[in-house]
Amino acid sequence: MKTLLHKFKSFSLLYVLAFFVFTSGCSRIDHKQSALDPKGLVSQNQYDIFMLSVWITIFLFCAVGGCLLYVLWKYRAKSKEEAMEVPPQSHGNSKVEAFLIVASTLILVILAVPTLQGVVLMNRVPNPDNPDDLLTLTRNGLDRSSVDGAITVNVTGKRFFWVFEYPQYGIVTSNELVFPASKAVRVNLRTEDVIHSFWLPKLAGKMDLMPGQENFLWFIANENDILNRNDSSGKEVTVSADVAMPSVFDGKMRERIFAKQKFTDEFEAVGGLFYGQCAEYCGNSHAYMSFRALAQTDDDFASWVKRFQNSQNPNLQPVSYNPEEKYEKDDLVNFADPEMGASFTREYRAVSQIDKGQAPNLSKKSWKKEHSNDYENGKQLFSSLQCVQCHAINRTGLGSKGPNLTLFGIRTSLAAGWMRNDEKNLSKWLRNSNEVKFGNLMWNGEGVDDDHPLRKLENDDEKVDQLVTYLLGLK
Amino acid sequence: MATESIKYLSPDTEIETKTKVFPRPDQHASGIINWLTTIDHKKIGVMYGMAALFFLLLGGVEALLIRSQLWSHNMEVLTNREYNQMFTMHGTTMVFLVIMPLSAAFFNFIMPLQIGARDVAFPRMNTLSLWCFIAGGIILNLSWFFTGGSPAIGWFGYAPLTDTRFAEVLGDMGPDFWIFSLQILGLASLLASFNFITTIINMRAPGMTMMRLPVFTWMTLIVSFLIILAFPAITIALVELMFDRTYGTNFYDFLEGGKPHLWQHLFWIFGHPEVYILILPAMGIVSEIIPVFSRKPLFGYGLIVFSGAIIGFMGFAVWSHHMFTTGMGIVATSAFSILTMLIAIPTGIKIFNWIGTMWGGRIRFETPMLFALGFITMFMVGGFTGIMHSSVPIDAQHQDSYFVVAHFHYVLIGGALFGLFAGFYFWLPKLTGKMLNEKLGKFVFTLMFIGFNLTFFPMHYLGMIGQPRRTHSYNEGHGFETWNQIATIGALVLGVGIAIGVYQFVSAFFNKKLKDAGKNPWDARTLEWTLSSPVKEYNFARTPIINARDQAWENNYGPKEKHSEKEPLDDHGVHMPDRSWCPLVSGLGFLILVLGMLFHQSVDVNTGEVLRDYTFAIIGGMIAIVGIIMWSLEGPAGYHLFPKETEE
Repeated sequence: MKTLLHKFKSFSLLYVLAFFVFTSGCSRIDHKQSALDPKGLVSQNQYDIFMLSVWITIFLFCAVGGCLLYVLWKYRAKSKEEAMEVPPQSHGNSKVEAFLIVASTLILVILAVPTLQGVVLMNRVPNPDNPDDLLTLTRNGLDRSSVDGAITVNVTGKRFFWVFEYPQYGIVTSNELVFPASKAVRVNLRTEDVIHSFWLPKLAGKMDLMPGQENFLWFIANENDILNRNDSSGKEVTVSADVAMPSVFDGKMRERIFAKQKFTDEFEAVGGLFYGQCAEYCGNSHAYMSFRALAQTDDDFASWVKRFQNSQNPNLQPVSYNPEEKYEKDDLVNFADPEMGASFTREYRAVSQIDKGQAPNLSKKSWKKEHSNDYENGKQLFSSLQCVQCHAINRTGLGSKGPNLTLFGIRTSLAAGWMRNDEKNLSKWLRNSNEVKFGNLMWNGEGVDDDHPLRKLENDDEKVDQLVTYLLGLK
Repeated sequence: MATESIKYLSPDTEIETKTKVFPRPDQHASGIINWLTTIDHKKIGVMYGMAALFFLLLGGVEALLIRSQLWSHNMEVLTNREYNQMFTMHGTTMVFLVIMPLSAAFFNFIMPLQIGARDVAFPRMNTLSLWCFIAGGIILNLSWFFTGGSPAIGWFGYAPLTDTRFAEVLGDMGPDFWIFSLQILGLASLLASFNFITTIINMRAPGMTMMRLPVFTWMTLIVSFLIILAFPAITIALVELMFDRTYGTNFYDFLEGGKPHLWQHLFWIFGHPEVYILILPAMGIVSEIIPVFSRKPLFGYGLIVFSGAIIGFMGFAVWSHHMFTTGMGIVATSAFSILTMLIAIPTGIKIFNWIGTMWGGRIRFETPMLFALGFITMFMVGGFTGIMHSSVPIDAQHQDSYFVVAHFHYVLIGGALFGLFAGFYFWLPKLTGKMLNEKLGKFVFTLMFIGFNLTFFPMHYLGMIGQPRRTHSYNEGHGFETWNQIATIGALVLGVGIAIGVYQFVSAFFNKKLKDAGKNPWDARTLEWTLSSPVKEYNFARTPIINARDQAWENNYGPKEKHSEKEPLDDHGVHMPDRSWCPLVSGLGFLILVLGMLFHQSVDVNTGEVLRDYTFAIIGGMIAIVGIIMWSLEGPAGYHLFPKETEE
C-alpha cells in the first residue's frame, strides 16, 4: 500500500515539476511561429493575459493539488485494520463551502478584468482622440502617428493561399504581407470559399475568415522587439534595421534570409520575418496554407509600394513599338524578334534617345534586349500553358483563381509559405505541384485534367527552366 | 438464474398468453436469441458497454495512425485526405460511439439498481435505443467503403466545407454517412434519455426521495435532460445540412444567401452541453467511488447535486466560447467569456467537495480509487486550461492550436475516460460476481496515467509555439518534432494500457479463476450493493423501503431506524416481462431507412439527370413502423418468479 502511495505521489510531483519547467521557459520558446514570443502590441497583450492565467492556475493547482496530496497522505489507511475502521460520518461544512465559492469567484475577477480590456483592444484600433486610448498608446511607447498613418490590408482567403490587397495603394500581392513596422495595420478578412483563419502568432493572434461576412483584426509591431534578438548563446543583442528588416523591394530581404539561415533552422535569424498559418480546417491542403509577414522600415515600405504600383499600373506596362513616336532613354517597348520564331515579341530597352522610325534593331546599338531568351520564352509559356488564366502578373487581377505573381522574384517563399522560393523548389513545384501539396487547386482545380498543359511539364526540362527563369526574373 | 426455488407457474400465466397477438420469446429463450430479444436493462447495459469498448479500440487505432503521421515533419504514413478522414472519424467515434454509450451502459446497468427498480420504465424502448446506437455505429463506419471514403469534415462538420460545392472528391458520400449516423445516434440517445427521466422520476423505491438519490443517478437525470434539450438543435442542423446537400436548399450555402454562422451556432448549442453530457456521468461515478474508498459520506451532497444541475443549466449559456474567433463582436464575446468563467465555479465546487470527502476518511488505494484520483488531477488540468480559453484574448492564440487539443483530451480522457474506467473497476464485480485482478488493474492505471500525460502534456507547449490542429503535416524548422515524438510514444503507451484494460473487462465475464465478489466487496454505500453479485434477473425480490441516503452503508453501520425495510411479498411473485423481437425489427427498419436515404440518388448516364428512388427508404420506414405497431399489440405477456426471501 505504501509503495503505491509513493508511486502516486511521485507522479503528481513530477507533474507539478513538469508544469514549472514548461512555463518558466527552460527550453527556448521563440520559435518561428511561437505565441510565446510576442512582437507586437496586441499579441503582447494576449501573452500577458495568458501568463497571468498561467500563474493563477499554477497557484490553484498547487493549492488544490497540495491539499489533495496532504489529505491522501494524512488520511491513508495505514493497515488492513485501519482500512476497516469507521471514521466520523460528517456530511459537509457550509462555511467552508461558502468561503471556497467566494474565493474562486474573486480569483476569476482577477482574470476577467484584463480579459475585458483585451477584448476591446483586439477589436478596435485605439483612437488617439480618446484620452483613454491615447494612454494605452503612450503606455506602449507609441504615439498618434502610428495609428493615424495606419495601413489597411484586405485579406482574402482561398483554398489554399492568401490574397493581400492594399486598397490605399491599389496593389495586390499574395502569401507575403509586407507592412511598415511603425504603423498599425488594419486587416479586413474575407473568404471566397470555405472558412479559413488568419493566425499570425507573434503579432496578432487569430481571426476567422467567414464566408459572407467581413471580419477584422489589427496589429502593430514593436520595432524594438524586432531589432532585439537572441544570438546563438541566448544573449539578447540589438541589431540595425538593415539587418533585422532588410528591404523587400530590391530583394535584400530574400537574399539575407537565404544567406543567413537554413530553411530548417528552428529560430528565425531575420527579426522582421513573421510566420502565419491558416488555423481553421479548410480541406485537403489545409496544413499547407501558411503565409509570411515582412516588417519594413517606413522608407522601404514606401519603396515597395512604389514598385508594386509601377508594376501593376496598366499605363506603365511596355507597349508595342510605334514608329510614329520618339522614345526616351530607358523606355521599354514590345517588338518582334524573328530569331525566336514567327510572331514572337519581346521587350527592348532604349539605350539612348530614339528618333521616330528607329525600330528596335540590335545592330544599331540604340536598343538592347531587356531580358534573356529564356525569360522571354518563359513569358510566352506562361500564356500558352494557360498559367495566365489563374495568375495575374503586373496587374492587380483581383478575383483571379490563383495567387498574384507580380514581382515574384523578390518573394521569399513559394506555395503559400511552404517552401523557400528558389530555383530548385520552383522547378519541383512546376513539375508536379500535387506531389508537393497534395490537393492544391493548381493541379486539381476546376478545368484542370490530364490534358492540361500544366500536367505535362513533369519531364519537360526546357520549359520548366524557362518558366523558372521568367518567374524568378520578375524583380 | 433458474434455481429450484423459482416456480414458473402462476394462475395468471395462461390468461396472459391468450391475449398475445404476436408471440414473444419467453424466459426459456437462450443463447443468441436471448441477447437479441432481451429487454433486461442489465443485458442492454452490457451490450452497450461491449459495443462501446469495441469502438474505443477502433477509435484508438485511428488515433495511433494520426500520431504516427505526426511523428516527424512531412511524414507520409497517411495522405492528407486520409489523415483528415482519420481525425474526423476519431473525433466522431470517440464522442458518439465511445464516451456517450459507455455512460449509457452505466446508466442502464446501475441506475435502476440504485433507485430500487426492477427495470427502466420502458424496457423495449431501451432495447430500441441499443439497436439504434449499433445501427449508427455501423452506418458511420460503412462510409469507408463508398465514394469518397469516410467524411473528411472534422467532427464539427463546419459549413460550408460540408457543402457539395466544396467536395474534394466527386460525389463524396462521407458527409452523408456522417449526417445519417449522427441522426440515428441522436435517436438512440433521445430514446434512452426519456426512458431514464421517466424511470428516475416514477420508479424510485418508497422512501427514495430525490435528495436520497445516489449522485450517479442524479447525474443520469441531469445528463438525460441535457440530451433531450441539446439533441434537437443538432437534429435540426443536420436536417438542414441534409437538405442543402441533397435537395439544393440554401441554409448554409453563403453563395446563395445562406449563413455558415448558423451551423456553428446550432452545432455548439448542442456541442457545448454535449461536453457536459460526456463529463457529468464520469463525475457521478467519481462521486460514488470517493466516499466508498474514504469510508465517509459525500461531503456537501446537496451542493454537488446542485452544482451538477447548475453546470447542466449553464452549459446552454456558454456555447459561443467555441466561436470567439468567428467575429461575433465585442459584446457577445465579452458576455460569453464571463459566463464561461462562471461555469468554472460549480466545477471547482465538485473538486473541493471530493477533497472534503476524503478529509478525515480512511483512504484505500484500490484501482477504482486510483482512477478516480487520476480523474480529479487530470480533470483539474483540463479545467484550468479551460479557464484560460474562457479569456478571449488568450483564446485568440489558443483556438485551433494543439493547446486546445491538449485541453479537451485532458477533459475527455483524463476526465471522462478515467472516470468511466474507474466505474468499470468499481462495478464490474457487481456485473460478473468476480473481483478483477487488482495488480493488473493498477498496472493498467500506471500505463494509462503515464501514457496519457506523455501524449497530451507536450501538446500545450506545441500549441503555444504554433502548431495548428487538424493539419496532416508540419514543415521542418518549426521545432515541433521532438515533442511530437514524445507524444506519439505516449500515445502508444496509453493505447497499450487501454487495450489491456478492455481485455481485462471483457475477460472478467469468462475468467473462472477470479475470486468471488460477494454482495459488497468494497464495503460500498449505495443500494445496488445490497444485491447479490451478479444481480438476479429481477433485481429486487421485494421492493426495498429506503430510510437513508447511503442505504447499504446504513444497513451495515447505521442505527436501526435507518436500516432499509422490504415491502411484503406478493402472492403472485415477481412479474417478469417476456422478451421481444419488436425493438430489433424497428431498429433494423431504421437501418434500412437510413441506407435507403443514403443510396436513393443515382445519375442517369445518358442525360446526366439525377434520379431519385425512395423504394428502400420507404420499405425501411414501413418496417420500423410495423415493428412499433407489433410492439404495441403484442401485449404484456410475461411470467412470474417466486424468489425466496434471501435470493436477491
